[in-house]
Amino acid sequence: MRTVEVLFVIVILLTAFLITTYFAVLPSPSQAFGTNLRELSQSTLETLDADGILSASVFEDPNDPAWTDLQKALSASLPPNMVYNLSIYDLTADSQGVVNYQLANSISDANFGADSDAASLMVTSPNVTFTQDPQKVGESTGQNITLYILNCSDANGWWITGYTGQTLAADVYSLLSPYFTTIVLVNSTSELGLLLSGTLLTTEVGESVENAVVVNTFGEAVPIPDDYCEDGLNETEGFDPAHDGGTYAKYFHTLGSLTRQYNWTWVSIVGYPFYYVTNTNNPHISSSQNSYGIYGMKDVRRAGSNAFLQGLDNQGYVYDENRIAFDIGVVQFTSEALDRCNYYGIYPAPYQTSSRALADDILDDYHLDPFASVFELKNSRIAAATFRHQDGSGALTAIGLTRIPDIRVTALALLMYYNPTVYKSEFGASGTSRLVTLQLGQQGGT
Amino acid sequence: MTGATIDHMISLTILIAALLVAMMTFNGLFASAVDYERNRQVANKAVDIMNTICLSPGSPIDWGETNETLLGFGLQDPEAGGYTLSPYSIMRLNTGNSSGGSQIVYYPHTGLYYNNVSANYGHGVLIPLGDCVNYTDAAELLGINGTYGFSIDIAPILEVSVSQVPVSPPQNHLILKVDVRGSGLPLSGATLNYNLFHVKKGVTYPLIATYSGVNQTDSSGSAVIEFDNVDESKDAYSFIVYVSIGGVTGNGYYTHNTLGDDNQLVIPFIQDYDQGTVIIAHSWDVQGAGSPPVPEIKYNATFFALTSDFQFQQIEIVNNTGHLIYGVGDPYFTTQLPVSEVGLLVISYKRDATRLGSVIMPWGIGTLGVSTSFDSGFGSSGYDFVATELRQVMIDGISYQVKVSTWSLSG
Repeated sequence: MRTVEVLFVIVILLTAFLITTYFAVLPSPSQAFGTNLRELSQSTLETLDADGILSASVFEDPNDPAWTDLQKALSASLPPNMVYNLSIYDLTADSQGVVNYQLANSISDANFGADSDAASLMVTSPNVTFTQDPQKVGESTGQNITLYILNCSDANGWWITGYTGQTLAADVYSLLSPYFTTIVLVNSTSELGLLLSGTLLTTEVGESVENAVVVNTFGEAVPIPDDYCEDGLNETEGFDPAHDGGTYAKYFHTLGSLTRQYNWTWVSIVGYPFYYVTNTNNPHISSSQNSYGIYGMKDVRRAGSNAFLQGLDNQGYVYDENRIAFDIGVVQFTSEALDRCNYYGIYPAPYQTSSRALADDILDDYHLDPFASVFELKNSRIAAATFRHQDGSGALTAIGLTRIPDIRVTALALLMYYNPTVYKSEFGASGTSRLVTLQLGQQGGT
Repeated sequence: MTGATIDHMISLTILIAALLVAMMTFNGLFASAVDYERNRQVANKAVDIMNTICLSPGSPIDWGETNETLLGFGLQDPEAGGYTLSPYSIMRLNTGNSSGGSQIVYYPHTGLYYNNVSANYGHGVLIPLGDCVNYTDAAELLGINGTYGFSIDIAPILEVSVSQVPVSPPQNHLILKVDVRGSGLPLSGATLNYNLFHVKKGVTYPLIATYSGVNQTDSSGSAVIEFDNVDESKDAYSFIVYVSIGGVTGNGYYTHNTLGDDNQLVIPFIQDYDQGTVIIAHSWDVQGAGSPPVPEIKYNATFFALTSDFQFQQIEIVNNTGHLIYGVGDPYFTTQLPVSEVGLLVISYKRDATRLGSVIMPWGIGTLGVSTSFDSGFGSSGYDFVATELRQVMIDGISYQVKVSTWSLSG
């Protein structure tokens, strides 16, 4: 009787073994450990096209000797145990813009076994020139919008670790120059003083103080001209001796008022906006440091942002130390931002850390509307967006991310706000592009 | 009672036997799975290493062109991107300990050892060993020191061999035969762009006369090129040929000296990689003194930059002539190359009126089609499983194949 039971146990064990072997199927050794055919294929296509030979050959007539040369090149460059199939697809777009792929030609040296992999490369005809012409900001509305980039040599930055204001100014210039007709670098705090007084800084025909974009590349610090400092000609517009033992919150109120007056878009690239003033030559500021050892800087702290927004909202100056920016951790791009990344070809990381996101309370308190949000709203905080006053006078683009700054986020935020069109020649137009796929197979063992 | 006992014994025996068989069978299955998993990790590591080497320039990105300390390992050309390797970074690999690598060279007058990335017949690049990246440093920077072993082999895809075709007297002009093969097969219809650097006689510091032309390989992958102005036995020359077909390129070279033996009398060393400073030394100072009389060498150094269409453009260099006498006067002379241009430093020299020669130093390994291997010197023998990865790359416009082999050091 027990023998019969044991036989049952054996049957169960055998069944377990069969089921295990049925499901636990390991890939063949060639699949698991063979040469990475996809990457070999990709590198082969790229090297064949290094001098544009592949691009030129695949647009030739199928009877052209270039195809024979291509076949010889493939045979010569691939290991003897590899077989290949090179297929070229013509791209045609119908009236709806749907792109279709039609096999134009194919060359192969053998049939494939079980294991093969492929890579592809989009090539363009050497006889076609592709262009990308961005529309200038303001062109669609007939506005003349000048981009001012603060590049003051007598200022220090904060929360821009790894950069200086000057290097960031160069990056802003590089990223945004295709989109603006007139770009002016503000090279000193005295030039900034002229700008604040409405004076043009160059003789360029297109320069206009009104409707301009002003990018502060110094992070949480904002350059301050001597005139607005203590004992300066415009001291009363910059220095408030009554609070905090003397504070420059008043200067930020003036900046907010001027932003409103000139209909500027003021851009803060990182961190808590308007947290410090900086001027390395002014005697009242040059010997001060921001408690982290950066001299030429005086802290205004939370009162700076409030004062700016008061000015932007045409409110009188009231010293206000209430906090309006908060740490909300990791934030992610909005779908609109992801779409604009592809459109403008700017690709910052879609997940960033925001330690200085502005609370949405400011929208009601200062009559602002948020536009072009780069990141999803989180905990009622806005990590990066452009806040335009409801009466259309002036705006603040605030990127409340943590350091190290990614200037591409600033560029993306501005482009999302102004939304200039980019006129591209059609890559998918018939006869201009072809898709080349190279399928490789490995013959024999590994 | 006896029947029940027997039933127990039989059933217990069968049960134990069945369990043993099952355990052995499952053990075999699990052992295969464990082996598979372990080997798959090695294969994945090979892909990682290959990607890092081919698709990252390292840090700093221009480390191959400077004397800066390497912080991240990678061989990609930072200016070209894609599957293009920096010819300079490869020159800074310490291949002295690698299996198949050339022996390091000691030069007493600088007191330095030099890494030898050489072709043959004395042509190659000698770089101060201290400026090179050794295997251990590279492994540490790749994060695999002590866990995985690896080797890198970089070799041209096309095999281009050049030989001299004997002529029957009274003819004495030079005939060269170029054979081109790819993947073991002759390559017909390939375009050849060739240059002959002819060492001119009758001048104090022998000049280079350049003859260039275009040809094509026949159905057997060969081409014959004739030079009427060059005497096949009495003239010294160097011949370089660049081959291209359908996007694949390669090169080969051949040198003929009239010194009486194969030893070069002039040896160039790179003194400062950053500045492109090159020492031109007497070979007796390096290889030891030969039989008297002491050869007095008068040389003329010429730098040819390689253009994208495989043409050479001569670029003026400082201190291009010199008189080397072993044991007398300056032990060596220095010249300076344009560091941003890949090309060839061709040093033509003479011992006397009839004994002349030329030596070539590539600036960028692709210009002379030099192969290189970089490993620990111990290889992968003794390890059960070695994963290999292959990629095609470009170096100085020449098609190369990179092979990375990886194995687990933990057994």
